[in-house]
Amino acid sequence: MNDTMEVQSALAPGSYFFTGNEAAAEGAIAAGCRYYAGYPITPSSEIMERMAQRLKEVDGVFMQMEDEIASICSVVGASWSGSKAMTATSGPGFSLMQEALGYGVFTETPLVLVDIQRAGPCTGQATKVGSGDLMQAKWGSHGDYQIIALSPWSVQEMYDQTIEAFNLSEQYRVPVFVMADEAVGHLRERMDISPLVQTRNRYKKSGAAPFGTEENDGVPPMPSFGEGESITVTGSTHNEFGVRKTDDPAVHERLVGRINNKILNHRENIIQSEAYSLDDAEVIVVAYGFTARSAFFAVDQLRKSGKKVGLLRLKTIWPFADGLINRIGKLGKKLFVPEMNSGQVYGEIRKYAGCEVIPYHQTNGRIIHPKDIIAHIERII
Amino acid sequence: MARDLDAYLRQEVKSTPFCPGCGHGILMNIILRAIADMELDMKNILFVSGIGCAAWIPSPHFNGDTLHTLHGRAIAFATGAKMANPKLKVIVISGDGDLTSIGGNHLIHAARRNTNLTVICANNMIYGMTGGQVASTSPLGTITATTGEGNPYRPFDLCRLVLGAGAEYAARFSVTQPLVLMAAIKKALGMEDFTFIEALSPCPTQFGRRNKADSSVQMLKALMQDCITREQAKGMDKDLLKTKIITGEFHHE
Amino acid sequence: MSNVKQVRLIGFGGQGVVLAGTILAHSAIKDGRWVAGSSAYGAQARGGTARYDVIVAEDPIKFPHMISTDILIAFSQKAYEESLGQLSKEKALVIYDDLLVKPGTLPGVIQTGVPATDRAIKDLNNKQAANMVMLAAAAVLTGLTSQASLVRALEENSAPRFLEINRKALALGQDIGLNLKKI
Ligand SMILES: Cc1ncc(C[n+]2csc(CCOP(=O)(O)OP(=O)(O)O)c2C)c(N)n1
Ligand code: SF4
Ligand SMILES: [Mg+2]
Repeated sequence: MNDTMEVQSALAPGSYFFTGNEAAAEGAIAAGCRYYAGYPITPSSEIMERMAQRLKEVDGVFMQMEDEIASICSVVGASWSGSKAMTATSGPGFSLMQEALGYGVFTETPLVLVDIQRAGPCTGQATKVGSGDLMQAKWGSHGDYQIIALSPWSVQEMYDQTIEAFNLSEQYRVPVFVMADEAVGHLRERMDISPLVQTRNRYKKSGAAPFGTEENDGVPPMPSFGEGESITVTGSTHNEFGVRKTDDPAVHERLVGRINNKILNHRENIIQSEAYSLDDAEVIVVAYGFTARSAFFAVDQLRKSGKKVGLLRLKTIWPFADGLINRIGKLGKKLFVPEMNSGQVYGEIRKYAGCEVIPYHQTNGRIIHPKDIIAHIERII
Repeated sequence: MARDLDAYLRQEVKSTPFCPGCGHGILMNIILRAIADMELDMKNILFVSGIGCAAWIPSPHFNGDTLHTLHGRAIAFATGAKMANPKLKVIVISGDGDLTSIGGNHLIHAARRNTNLTVICANNMIYGMTGGQVASTSPLGTITATTGEGNPYRPFDLCRLVLGAGAEYAARFSVTQPLVLMAAIKKALGMEDFTFIEALSPCPTQFGRRNKADSSVQMLKALMQDCITREQAKGMDKDLLKTKIITGEFHHE
Repeated sequence: MSNVKQVRLIGFGGQGVVLAGTILAHSAIKDGRWVAGSSAYGAQARGGTARYDVIVAEDPIKFPHMISTDILIAFSQKAYEESLGQLSKEKALVIYDDLLVKPGTLPGVIQTGVPATDRAIKDLNNKQAANMVMLAAAAVLTGLTSQASLVRALEENSAPRFLEINRKALALGQDIGLNLKKI
């Protein structure tokens, strides 16, 4: 279908010492992002600042908008004008964007949003860490839909996953969220840039229906404004040519079905994870984001002291790795789920694991320290 | 819609959804005539609208690219589309509630940035689509679904609002003044600036029937009487002037 | 060098602690090592303390924050005293500015005084350059990074007008480090 393309990386290949936020901006540029719109908010603003500078260098467009609603709406507009486009924000801004994200989903608009999660709810602790926006990423806008949400654990992955987010958004014509947390956004560490970057081009087919496919889980081609295709785009229910159909139950059912199926039926291709020391593990820690770094260290320490512990790291949060969790659960082990929220992913894991799942919640604006994970696992092993 | 404008309309959608006597249908005609007169290429025009009856003027009827967005956000979407592809001619067409109430912030900021957009506000002084609730443009005393005793608040003067925010050109005309309205639209479309057209467009269904204009003919007649030029306004009795709508072109000073 | 070294540079604001940490981090990356860094300074840090933590490792770093300090580089008495509690239980190393810090007795900890401020004033007539003197001396004493990489990292991260004096400071620090090592 849409073609992948190898391009030269935007920065010279080599090792860099970046923050996660800087790496996200570099990933976007490398992936071909040429439009950014945003509104200042801690702890994500450095992404916007770097994009302001970098987009100038590559002849892209940077807009500081009047608010987050305008930011995300203009990103959708830019995407339909043919640009790879993105925004970045944090909790309060993410909340404001929800209606337009639903628009992006329903009009099948490729776009990338980086959420640097901070300690909510509300204004909460603006400079402190949390990962409480994961359910919002999934269900924040009204109605039934699917999105893709990734969870980076390192500066390197902020770069890699931002590129991946652009590629997935083009492949599936869906908003893709990089659900980072403040600890990764502000972490500074070595990251390596390789000479070539895998990117994905928008799939175009002149005259083809831009909002429907033969299959009930297909991704239609996407024309751009100004190409002479007389596109009509609407957030109301529409037929395969984009014409509003707000009375026909079959049209609604078909469209809602397809935008869900095109993600869910391909989830085995979308979902990524990493496993460490799972064989013979009596307790498997399931973690994501910065917390997976703490868990990684803790598992390593526990292994050194002879404890049979493993780590499953979720790189994709949505669509959820239901099949994988089910397989892991079948091994008959205990799963331990540390999170910087009140159990948003724990609940999903419990749905599919079929074995004992032990949550560990921390909502104090601090990272979960490896020593706390070690102490808890020593109690349950 | 007249035959000669067929080429400007999307083939698969023939009828418009407006109530009989709705001003939006007239405005639709006037906008397309302005485009036809200027011989603008529809393939290069993007029409962006929000949500409301007025937002259906271009979408999906106009045979260019149309982007029917969210309530209030048309200008924000249009800004992204225009900035990402500056070659597009981008025209925003939406209602008064949409553009000036929920979307008021985007309106003033686009005017401030002087983003190259022409915004045509179909002002029926009411929320038509949702059943006739009071709008930020409803005159003092208007009876609406949410102001049974009459609107207690003053309306926006939209042209002054956008000029104050930095718009280069603003004009207010009624659909009962088709020739001057069309001329103003053409002027706006010919500029490379943020330009604003306030097109007074009667809503007989939601505004008229509550405010002593039972038929659409009555509404049109009333509009014709109420709209005066700036020249006519000069020296008019103050109380009388309060019942009038001053139409004309307004430039950045 | 053992696999992971957790280094804390700490002093008061204005001493160039963050720049020293940044250059150490870039320098270790140039050596091909894995590095993570985090800083606290200005309003974030209590009592005007400036701190930069650098983790230097031979392999990708599992947990990127400091768990305990393997190498403490202290630029002030207050910073020194504040940091002792976090020292690693085994083989901790303390390097301090011998003009600004009067060290206490710490059983099992090797403490080395570096005349960074003293020599920056005497040899370079520039107290501000003490951070680079200290950094280069510490690099020699700990093997954290090579002098060649330090110089390259400096060139990429120093404001042009301070480049020359900082280069001299690195050279001076290296000398001091080598001499201290002989003892
Ligand atoms: C966020 C949101 N709030 C409310 C609505 C409901 N709504 C739909 S149209 C409309 C009013 C439209 O009024 P106007 O823009 O003046 O257009 P008209 O129908 O009068 O032409 C409202 C409030 C909505 N669609 N979205
Ligand atoms: S409700 Fe009013 S604005 Fe809407 S179509 Fe009917 S007359 Fe026109
Ligand atoms: Mg209205």
